[in-house]
Amino acid sequence: MTKEQREPPERPGVLLPEMARHLFGRPATQRYPAERIPVPKGFRGRIEVSDEHCIGCSKCALVCPTDCIEMVSDERDVAMGARTVHRKKKPIVHLMSCIRCGLCEEACPTDPKAIYLTEAFGGAYERKDVVVG
Amino acid sequence: MPEVELPIGPQHPALKEPVSFRVLVDGERIVRLDLDVSYNHRGVEKGAEGREFPKALYLIERICGICSHAHATNFAKGVEALMGVTVPPRGQWIRTLVAELERLHSHLLWLGVLAHEIGYNTLFMYTWRDRETIQDLLEEISGNRVNYGMNRLGGVRRDVSDDLRSRALEGLRGLADRAGFYSRIIREEQTLLVRTRGVGRLPRDRAIALGAVGPTARGSGVDFDVRRDDPYVAYGDVPLHVMTSSASDVFGRLEVRVREIEESVRLCTHLLENLPSGDIAAKAPRVAPQGAYVSRYEAPRGELVHYIRTNGTDKADRVSVRTPTLANWLSVVEAIQGRVIADIPVVVAAIDPCLSCTSRTTFVDTGTGDRSAMEWDDLVAYGIRYYREREGLP
Amino acid sequence: MSALVLALYLFVFPGFLFLLGFAWFAEWWDRKLLARLQHRVGPPFLQPFADFVKLLSKENVVTEGVSARLQAALPLVAFAAVATAFLYVPLLGASPFGAPGDLVLVLYLLTLPTILLFVLGWTSRNVFARIGAVRAASQLFVYEVPFFLACLGPALAAETWAVADVVNAQASGLWTFLLQPLGFAVAIVALQAKLERTPFDIPEAETELVAGPLTEITGRKLAIWNLARDIALVTGAALLVALYLGGPTVPGVALEGLAGAAIGFGAFFVKTLLVLAVLAAIRAAVGRIRIDQLVTWGWAVLTPLALAQIAIAIVLRGVGWP
Repeated sequence: MTKEQREPPERPGVLLPEMARHLFGRPATQRYPAERIPVPKGFRGRIEVSDEHCIGCSKCALVCPTDCIEMVSDERDVAMGARTVHRKKKPIVHLMSCIRCGLCEEACPTDPKAIYLTEAFGGAYERKDVVVG
Repeated sequence: MPEVELPIGPQHPALKEPVSFRVLVDGERIVRLDLDVSYNHRGVEKGAEGREFPKALYLIERICGICSHAHATNFAKGVEALMGVTVPPRGQWIRTLVAELERLHSHLLWLGVLAHEIGYNTLFMYTWRDRETIQDLLEEISGNRVNYGMNRLGGVRRDVSDDLRSRALEGLRGLADRAGFYSRIIREEQTLLVRTRGVGRLPRDRAIALGAVGPTARGSGVDFDVRRDDPYVAYGDVPLHVMTSSASDVFGRLEVRVREIEESVRLCTHLLENLPSGDIAAKAPRVAPQGAYVSRYEAPRGELVHYIRTNGTDKADRVSVRTPTLANWLSVVEAIQGRVIADIPVVVAAIDPCLSCTSRTTFVDTGTGDRSAMEWDDLVAYGIRYYREREGLP
Repeated sequence: MSALVLALYLFVFPGFLFLLGFAWFAEWWDRKLLARLQHRVGPPFLQPFADFVKLLSKENVVTEGVSARLQAALPLVAFAAVATAFLYVPLLGASPFGAPGDLVLVLYLLTLPTILLFVLGWTSRNVFARIGAVRAASQLFVYEVPFFLACLGPALAAETWAVADVVNAQASGLWTFLLQPLGFAVAIVALQAKLERTPFDIPEAETELVAGPLTEITGRKLAIWNLARDIALVTGAALLVALYLGGPTVPGVALEGLAGAAIGFGAFFVKTLLVLAVLAAIRAAVGRIRIDQLVTWGWAVLTPLALAQIAIAIVLRGVGWP
């Protein structure tokens, strides 16, 4: 009888060989926060607002699926390309509702983007950080 | 011992999400099982009515965490059909790639959960460790481990670079070995076999009569898979084998899912190796013309149906979601008949229940066939009346 | 032995204080091994002690209609039973409490916790606890017979009912498990069922019965019960070491004086850790079986094997070997 024809017997403890291998090896656990977790490029991390680039067009607030972007009054002269724009408002983001979809970043017309997702791993650790911008 | 009622749920260590089983047991034997599934109702269908299509897409995606891409893609392709938008081939293939990766991670998760329900925690740990390979891959492709946000109306949002392709292929090769390993394990491990063989019998005709879908039905020999029988995205262009089992019990469903893991790894490899070039998205209009569309999708748990009705505006008129788990619950009630308490977590886990995908409330008068819906105030009044009567209050 | 030495033996070493430390160490050893076998990290060394302290600080909840005194007393009685059983196991040499027939006493004391678990679950006014209690009692009938038979084997070979004498009979290096390997295997499996660990953790099947008989037990009561469970683990392992692995003896080494006692204790400690490691490996290797499958398998396989081993032991004794 060839090896393929013979049915292996049903027995308990089929995982024992693999268990023995892992007993003396390194655990598979990533020891966060003692070890840093590597995040890939393009990871959807915490959202940030850039005050010096935002022209106050409100496109991000309009496109946000969870309506977590609120436009507040904040006047400032912002350079956009060769021109200078006088903006009237800028966005603040409520992190508790942000789903990090990145639609705001896609809609933002400035270059570099005034609202963008970073690769920062954490969220907000203090109450004051819950609103960004 | 006289018959006692065992309340499994809504909170119970066996359940990952709230569902309520009222089980009447005589000793260990189950006499009757009453099911109540509406604990995760969140009004998503109503929410989708009031939102523009791109926003509704993100809401629909979050019906479920494990099969999020299924909901998003199904909704997106339904709306695209109504708008008359054609997604370019590269976009379709990337959608399919993420769909198969999602099936992989969902089935590996399920295998671990089944092992945990049996008390076989070592297998649980190993399968979830191997699932991390797929999660890292999905994170590289989409930026997220669940709720990928890959879809936009007209295509996908992110491209797959060549560097990512080669790394993904390497990860998939390792996963193919592990899938073969698990396939061997489930056939040889005696404690797993004695807990799943012969448990939760669901003959083929009963599976069809009760409307079971997905691996639950395929485990009973029902040869139906939306990917093959009603192809969507790129499934018409790739070699697909539908896995069935004639075992018709929990082991049959286990077998089907493990073989689907192996098949998905093959599919993902094929998709990555033959990814067509070109655009990843087409431009979609803001408004959808009047119409209605039934969009079907083979989610990891079975056939997912979205009914979308539009009326010429930029919002959907009505979105109705029929998830696979909703279709599979009746098969649980049938399959558990005559079994013992110890089989409950096994039979329930075998349909891969996703309660977030389940809750619906419609009132049907079975006598006249009239369908009705209650207004909010009526529903509140009805609820108060109902519970007052049940608790014996004036 | 003077009263002072007896008191020290009873309360410090190897009595109460040592037993506490050893029980927590054994729980850590078991959980750490389980984790490493599962490719995980596992708990830090002080985890069992921390769990105990945490539970002591929790609110004491008593269900309406349940006798609070009974529920508080049962874990304490269980703790007392297994702690007393440990006193008869030889650690350094013979136990000063040893008496002819103390093997029977130890086995009886080790049975007590399961009966108490049944009473605890039955009187808890909780349907999960009740079903768990009935399962615990059913399981008791299945494993108790093979376990007693497996402990009878070494006693037969040494022709004594005193644990210390069984140990001394193995001092030449011919440990019982070499002569009765079948009995040793049955003893290990039956001990696993006695301690209600996977694959025999049926009374407390977490995914079926929440916590089985212990569903309503919280705070201090649960802390004491967990401690009793850990001590039962240690006592069971130590008993098997004494009966089958030669206890605190090292072949060829005379155990005299303080140095001898230290060597003996070291040997005992290492052997107990080995037995615990085997139990942890069994726990990791398989899944849980159903109560009806356990009953079938126990009576069809385990008890006949134990009986066969007894028969072989009797025949060997008859022909005067070894």
